[in-house]
Amino acid sequence: MLQAYWYITKMRMLTNLAYRFEVFTSVGTNLIIMLASVFLWQTAYGGGIGNVQSLSLQDLTTYTILSIILSSMFVCDVQNTIYYKIREGQIVTDFYRPIPLLACYLADDIGGSLSSLANKALPLIVFASLFFGIPWPSFLLNFLLFIPSCLLSYGILWLLSALVGLIAFWVMELGNMGMVKDSIVRVLSGSIVPLWFFPESVQTVSKFLPFQYTYQTPLGIYIGNIGTKEALTALAVQAVWVILLFLLLAAGWKRTKKKTLIQGG
Amino acid sequence: MMSSIRHYVSVASCFARLAVQRQLEYPLFLFSWLLMIPIQYFSGIWMLKIIVDRFQPLNGWDFPELTFLYGLGLVSHGIFVVFFINTWHIDNMVINGGFDRLLLRPMNVFFQLVASYVNFIGLIDCIPGIIIFLYGCQLVGFEWSFFNIVKLILVLLGGVLLRAALFISLGTIAFWTKRNGSMVGFALSMLERATMYPLSIYPFALQALFTFLIPIGFISFYPAVEFLGKDSSMVHLPLSLALWTPIIGLVCFLLAHWIFRIGMKNYESAGS
Repeated sequence: MLQAYWYITKMRMLTNLAYRFEVFTSVGTNLIIMLASVFLWQTAYGGGIGNVQSLSLQDLTTYTILSIILSSMFVCDVQNTIYYKIREGQIVTDFYRPIPLLACYLADDIGGSLSSLANKALPLIVFASLFFGIPWPSFLLNFLLFIPSCLLSYGILWLLSALVGLIAFWVMELGNMGMVKDSIVRVLSGSIVPLWFFPESVQTVSKFLPFQYTYQTPLGIYIGNIGTKEALTALAVQAVWVILLFLLLAAGWKRTKKKTLIQGG
Repeated sequence: MMSSIRHYVSVASCFARLAVQRQLEYPLFLFSWLLMIPIQYFSGIWMLKIIVDRFQPLNGWDFPELTFLYGLGLVSHGIFVVFFINTWHIDNMVINGGFDRLLLRPMNVFFQLVASYVNFIGLIDCIPGIIIFLYGCQLVGFEWSFFNIVKLILVLLGGVLLRAALFISLGTIAFWTKRNGSMVGFALSMLERATMYPLSIYPFALQALFTFLIPIGFISFYPAVEFLGKDSSMVHLPLSLALWTPIIGLVCFLLAHWIFRIGMKNYESAGS
């Protein structure tokens, strides 16, 4: 059973590693965003401003670099996969498979993430270290907590993406609803500007939304802004969100499957 | 001459009608753009506000001035995507043979390339652009004198031409290599960071690059420097800085058109 998934993951990795030119431009694009963001923070901290909200320039530089690296690794193509397969009618053949549809897509995306780790994240870390020094974690323990936190983040992001994908079954033409979701996530996850800088009211609301647990939590743990004890709580909150979203997806999927309409061939 | 111009205009308007109809076919498609574009850009300016509020003005650029700059850059981006979005897809046309079709028709190829897709949805990019720009004008107390308005129009025109020149040159690469990958996304993020944020926050080398080699600093940064009466250490040009934008825009556009024609001579169909 697991062999089937591993095969999908492996195929996706091999396919992704075969495209070289796309990798260059993707790394280049992320590098530009990274450089520009770090320069923006350097200007903001210019003229001898010390810590703001107990964060130093070094903290924010690390935060920004890692945020961009994570975003290049968190591959959640499931929303687009479902959308295209429905538009092209290929979803039929995927339903024929003797293994669950969504699990296949998860295996596919994990393959994408693993190949991105090799051909996107690694070059970005190298470039970032050359420009701004190696972005070390604050403590080894933080790094050990950072890894499971990242995995849970990926879980939340993937489930959100799959939920958006489900909408495609109901409306046929999803358009760019996935991108709408992505732009909301980008802001409210603290991936560009940490939520600690946001107005109090926004911070309060965002505690009850899943978004900040996707980027801010692992990155906060990494730079040591979230202490060990709080980090364990944060991990628990992340896990609760994964479970909640999973139940929601399972319930939605059960109804959606019956609704599947095949559009042409 | 006259009849030839009339012919071109009628073809362009026919293309435009088809393009608009095509884009209105799926309402949710339109709706999703209508949601996404404003979210993206309003949150962008909101991020800047948060940073300026918590820290300090960026290199002497306070929030009103940043809004003005951000809006100016965004408006010229909006106009660009309405009229020139097809320059993003040159490599696609080369690969799937769509470009052959343009070559067969008895009309200027470059004209067909640009005119065949008027991006109606691009107007949505203009909405947050205009709102943010007008808000910025309000905040900085922009003086709507006749001279300023003429200058503004020339700056927008020059900015659009500069952007078009950049994407045409990038697209031309596809004539040799058959594909230029996701160069478009690369150029877009470069443009966004160089035109909607003050260029002066970047190191000297990058400022020089965006002033002399790839002069996208003239799309919005240098005009904004002049409109707001800021000090730019980088360049001291005779005349007003803002008036250099249409000049440089036109020169770059003609240059890009020339490169495009050279590339076309090199074009060989991808077959099939």
